[in-house]
Amino acid sequence: MKNKRLNFGIILFIAIGVVPFVAAFIYALLYSFGVIGVANKGFTTEFWTSVLASGEFFTSFLYSFLIALVAVAVSVGGALWVTLKFRKRLEQKFLSFIIYLPLAVPGIVTGFFTFQLFSKGGFFARLSYQLGWITEASQFPDLVNDALAFGILLSFITMIMPFFVLLFLNVYKNERIEELSILAQSLGANAKQVTQRISLPILIKKTRVLIVLYFIFLLGAYEVPLILGRESPQMLSVLIIREIKQYDLDKISEGYVVAVMYTLIVSAAAIVLFFPRKGRMYEH
Amino acid sequence: MLSWKPFALSVAVLLILFPFVYLVLLSLSSEWRFPDLLPSYFGLKNWATILGSEAGLLESFVSSLLISLSVAIVSTTSGFLISRAVFYHPKKNTLTLLAYFPYILAPVVFAACLSFFFLKMGLFGNITGVIVAQFIIAFPYALLFFSSFWNKKIKSYEDLVATLGGNRWQTFIKVLFPLAKGLILICFFQTFLISWFEYGLTSIIGIGKVQTLTIKVFLFIKEANYYYGALSCCLLIFPPVVLLYLNKRYVFKKLV
Repeated sequence: MKNKRLNFGIILFIAIGVVPFVAAFIYALLYSFGVIGVANKGFTTEFWTSVLASGEFFTSFLYSFLIALVAVAVSVGGALWVTLKFRKRLEQKFLSFIIYLPLAVPGIVTGFFTFQLFSKGGFFARLSYQLGWITEASQFPDLVNDALAFGILLSFITMIMPFFVLLFLNVYKNERIEELSILAQSLGANAKQVTQRISLPILIKKTRVLIVLYFIFLLGAYEVPLILGRESPQMLSVLIIREIKQYDLDKISEGYVVAVMYTLIVSAAAIVLFFPRKGRMYEH
Repeated sequence: MLSWKPFALSVAVLLILFPFVYLVLLSLSSEWRFPDLLPSYFGLKNWATILGSEAGLLESFVSSLLISLSVAIVSTTSGFLISRAVFYHPKKNTLTLLAYFPYILAPVVFAACLSFFFLKMGLFGNITGVIVAQFIIAFPYALLFFSSFWNKKIKSYEDLVATLGGNRWQTFIKVLFPLAKGLILICFFQTFLISWFEYGLTSIIGIGKVQTLTIKVFLFIKEANYYYGALSCCLLIFPPVVLLYLNKRYVFKKLV
């Protein structure tokens, strides 16, 4: 009886958690090989050859990879610095609520707000005009929809850095880093050694899975690059949806080729990250 | 020597509060053209439209609320109950790995690949479809969220209840739910936020017919109607702020 109940739970898990993913992947795979699809006439590798030859996927992947890498590196670095420098002050009642506030802002609002501040007609352009630094809007530098993805990076950093600050504060407390630091100091370690040999290694080791997970989330981010990105290159999710929603029916299949490649990459990352191993903490 | 830390923290607090203040100000403005630093109109005109049907924002707010509450209730309940079967299973590590695949994939790409099935099932372009689609991405989160709850201690409580003659129902109602109350509440808030903040998946499955607040924000951005866009942003931000406050004040406090 007990086993039956457990098995029913597993069947439900497979039905809700696994079947949709497998169905979506198989559908995208068949579409990418021309087996299904309105204008497709049967199995072909034409769409895969076309995508691989055009190089747009690789450019988009590299672009997304670099943006995600820089955003995560800056956010984690900044959050570590804030945690180590301001930990005690952030425990005060007022500040301990304020640092949670950025979590209430979704990506689409962050994108909109960044656009409002940094576009050529935005807040900082107006301020520059009033200060006499520019005489017309077009003189304001391209900070959104720009080649260096400044707007996207700024949005990502403001979105995830507060989360990492909260995470590191939590780990600092739970791993009793304070006590370990006092112990190290009593054994003769200086402040630099305590930071480099105790605080940083523990904080990074205990949160490394989450750091990689956030990198993967940013790799597939959609709303922010949709508002603040350029026509070319585009971040992966934006590229996939642009291709799939095209009127050119051949492009739809190419969109599914990119979707399959993206799914394979993140699935491989999931296997590397979460393949059963012992001794993991703060995984989600 | 004066410490620079209070000054740095004050700047940080101002930077955190700035988006909230700016969006409220923008939502109260109109005819704010370059290079003016302040708007020529400042008042409640835009907010008054919430009560009218012109922008349909009240309708979007209610739709978003309905969708997010449904997703949060269903995914938290199913996540809690099904996670028990998964994390007591001998193959729990493999099952956990399987749960990570939909969790890690971008929802918008997932939705694009699933849209054919939603179309076939008549779930395309309606609220039910959006709820089902959001549930599919919120469920793995809820399931993984409860992974640490099902440990040896909980199992021994369950065994103790069974030894004392308690049935399954009593185990859940009298032991498991009270023990997991705080976690269930946090999971409810989190899955509510996953749904409340969702844009890409909703735009694909809802095909513009289901106009949640995130869809409205994007529509207003495309129309370059930044005042209504800011107003939608305010409506989108304030419920999570209230939830965060309640979460922090009542839930975390009791858990610690």
